[in-house]
Amino acid sequence: MSTPLRFAVPSKGRLMKQTAEFLAKAGLKLRKVGHDRGYRGEIEGLDGVEVAFVSASEIVAELNGGRAHLGVTGEDLVRENISNASERVVFLKALGFGRADVVVAVPRCWIDVNEVADLEATAATFRREHGRPVRVATKYVNLTRRFFSGKGVTEYRIVESLGATEGTPAAGTADIIVDITTTGATLAANGLRVLEDGIILRSQANLVASKVAAWPPETHKARDALLGRLGIAAKAL
Amino acid sequence: MGTPPPANFEALEAQARTLLAVFIAAGHEAVAPPIIQPAGIFLNVLGESLRGRTYVFTDLNGEELCLRPDLTVPTCRLYLDRYASADEQAHYCYNGPAFRYQPVGADAAHPREFRQAGIETFGVADREEAEAQTFTLMLTALRQAGLRNWKLRIGDLGLFDAVLNAAEMPERWRRRLRHQFWRAEAFRTELKRLTTNPARSAAALPRTLVAALNPADRPGAEALVADYLDSAGMEVFGVRSVAEITDGVLAIAADAKAEPLKEATAAMIESYLSVKTRAHQASSRVQELMGKAEPGIAAALEAFERRSALLEESGIVMSEVPFSGEFGRNVAYYTGFVFEVLAPTLGPGSPVAGGGRYDGLLKAVGAPRDVPAVGGAIHTERLLAAVREDAR
Repeated sequence: MSTPLRFAVPSKGRLMKQTAEFLAKAGLKLRKVGHDRGYRGEIEGLDGVEVAFVSASEIVAELNGGRAHLGVTGEDLVRENISNASERVVFLKALGFGRADVVVAVPRCWIDVNEVADLEATAATFRREHGRPVRVATKYVNLTRRFFSGKGVTEYRIVESLGATEGTPAAGTADIIVDITTTGATLAANGLRVLEDGIILRSQANLVASKVAAWPPETHKARDALLGRLGIAAKAL
Repeated sequence: MGTPPPANFEALEAQARTLLAVFIAAGHEAVAPPIIQPAGIFLNVLGESLRGRTYVFTDLNGEELCLRPDLTVPTCRLYLDRYASADEQAHYCYNGPAFRYQPVGADAAHPREFRQAGIETFGVADREEAEAQTFTLMLTALRQAGLRNWKLRIGDLGLFDAVLNAAEMPERWRRRLRHQFWRAEAFRTELKRLTTNPARSAAALPRTLVAALNPADRPGAEALVADYLDSAGMEVFGVRSVAEITDGVLAIAADAKAEPLKEATAAMIESYLSVKTRAHQASSRVQELMGKAEPGIAAALEAFERRSALLEESGIVMSEVPFSGEFGRNVAYYTGFVFEVLAPTLGPGSPVAGGGRYDGLLKAVGAPRDVPAVGGAIHTERLLAAVREDAR
């Protein structure tokens, strides 16, 4: 039996719709196989490609574990969930949708904190006044840590937040946040402001290949056929 | 990566018995602090960067815990459990597992689980004596375990502190530089900024506000900041008060008005950090650079020379030991003398043993004040590999 190319595609929402549109532009029709609410699919007219509809964050795990060969997912999720991304996956193409910036935002009233380095300058006073370091609410624990470490900021504690992160400073569970934003409107509505050098990552949806999946010749062929149709030059894995 | 092959078990056990016997004979009590530790203390002491190299997890009660990344902090906690006021001398030794996250594909010298054997000495006021004893005892233990070929390297954060204190600048700039010691790139960026444009963040604030602030008039400054926030429609929320924000704004205003750091001062700091010499010449090199006039530097050099003499007496040939001004072992809790032992086959990224002075750590873990503390630890899997290599 031959090994089909496993292509992981977002299973719901805008990302799924936009992925289908992206494929459609190249004349490729994404179709579910079996039950309409099932999670398996195919691309019409492309043999050897098996589509798996998976949630965007699961797609990263599938690629990192080598269970999917290709996938469509946000760069933010890849960078957050794979510590050595360049060794595990290859970004084949930025797809121009699913755009979001991962940013550091502080209360607008913190007029003495405008750059990331200012956080460190206020840290000593903050600790003295409140007996703890600044709390940063985020679901991007690893991106935050790497970004702050690169900027020499060490005096902070991460509070994991899995939703409504923008509200945590006003609610008092955190002092500042690291979160995604597209227009900045939600941040402004919550009295927050992005630091001048506080953009951690300008993310968008990407077509990503797994370096660690098994790539026998027939899977390679299926990949080349798919990438050929999409007009993407294959990169070495 | 992962666990070493089972053939190593007996060899590691035998090696551990040898190492512990040396430590115990020198008066160190063997202790076994818990493997699972509260993550909060480590995060407070080592910072969030800890999460990048430690297994941190949440248990069923929602408590954040970690597998100890080393045995130094757990041994500090054990000491404070026994002596909450931290006013006793104590000499401990240990051998046990420690855990560090390694990305997939890390080499054999960087296993995620390894055994550390080491010593910690708390509360001994004679610092140089305690440092020399620690370093010497580590080398004795390594020799007893069969290691023949090694290279040493030393550094001294006390000397760096003295250099920084002698450099003319506001204390807040010193704090920032000291903080970046372990991050060479961030340190250089900060130094460059201070010499060229120390006016941090001022552009984001209205010039009129910055100009109107008078540091001598705290209440006046606070009123000005409150007015500004009010007129700009910025609601004050969260735990930081207007008083705190004013403090920050005053620091920005002070930086904006301050003369940049003198090029010569920055050059002096940089020249200290780039010192690379043999330990017996380090003191005279630093004297050439700095002059001995500054009392802080004279005292730090005296300590350095005394420690060197003690080490020389115990048989370490200091003319063969490299000293580097920027060497700080990449662990931000060291405050003074630091050392590493390298095996020729393992490379500088994988020291067989290392240690140093960390006088601020016990306070960070809960002691009422700074406590003199010095210690060292051996990466026992690396030691075994190096000993086997030696025997070939």
